[in-house]
Amino acid sequence: MNVTRRRGVIKLRLEPVERDVLTSMFDDLAISLQDDNLAPDDPVRRRLYPDGYGDREAAAEFRELTESSLTYDRTERISQCTAELALDGDLPLDADAGQRWIKALNDLRLALGTRLEISDDDDLSVAADAQSDPGHAIYQWLTVVQDSLVRALMK
Amino acid sequence: MAGTATPQREATHQSDSSTSAQPDLPWITIVWNDPINLMSYVTHVFMTVFGFPRSKAEKLMLDVHRRGKAVVSSGTRERMELDVATMHGYGLWATLEQQS
Repeated sequence: MNVTRRRGVIKLRLEPVERDVLTSMFDDLAISLQDDNLAPDDPVRRRLYPDGYGDREAAAEFRELTESSLTYDRTERISQCTAELALDGDLPLDADAGQRWIKALNDLRLALGTRLEISDDDDLSVAADAQSDPGHAIYQWLTVVQDSLVRALMK
Repeated sequence: MAGTATPQREATHQSDSSTSAQPDLPWITIVWNDPINLMSYVTHVFMTVFGFPRSKAEKLMLDVHRRGKAVVSSGTRERMELDVATMHGYGLWATLEQQS
């Protein structure tokens, strides 16, 4: 993985195996988001669709108003990113595409990080787990990709 | 979010107002700390969504990180619902409440 920025255009270079991992993760997330495949009390769902109010009733009502458009946006960006991953060569990302990518990568990190029960603010513990566990290693890699893209966008 | 009000929603609004002593106080959007969202990403979101200069966005991000939360916007309830929905779209953990 490599991120460069020249004349306002970001280029994301991914190895074939990295493309495969991302495509498969995006596919899994898209399926999870379909038709209530995540139970209402599933921690991943609670993290992707957090309460908007401290009050339970107000939070439930707010979720009803916002959930379908959040799902639509998430599914849209997954399908756009997946389509780009199927193309050959570096991914050229303008500001909008860059924005879409960091949101899509964030969704992946939220879903995976919640499953891994990432609860420590300290990245060092994640790094230690990454040595032995593939899930943590992928999570850490997603973190590096997202962070590189965010920094390139902010330049 | 404005314009999507339903009768049930009005009922909630009224009950909320009755528990809050000052119905004329503004509503606020609070972003809460979480272990997954990156500091760089949160800063970028604050700059992009609210148009904050980098220094202000970083200060708010550090408040979230160190103090556990930060108020990022205030205004009408409808406007704050929109801001909270936008934060959720970015994967940030945000809630709204009436300022006390």
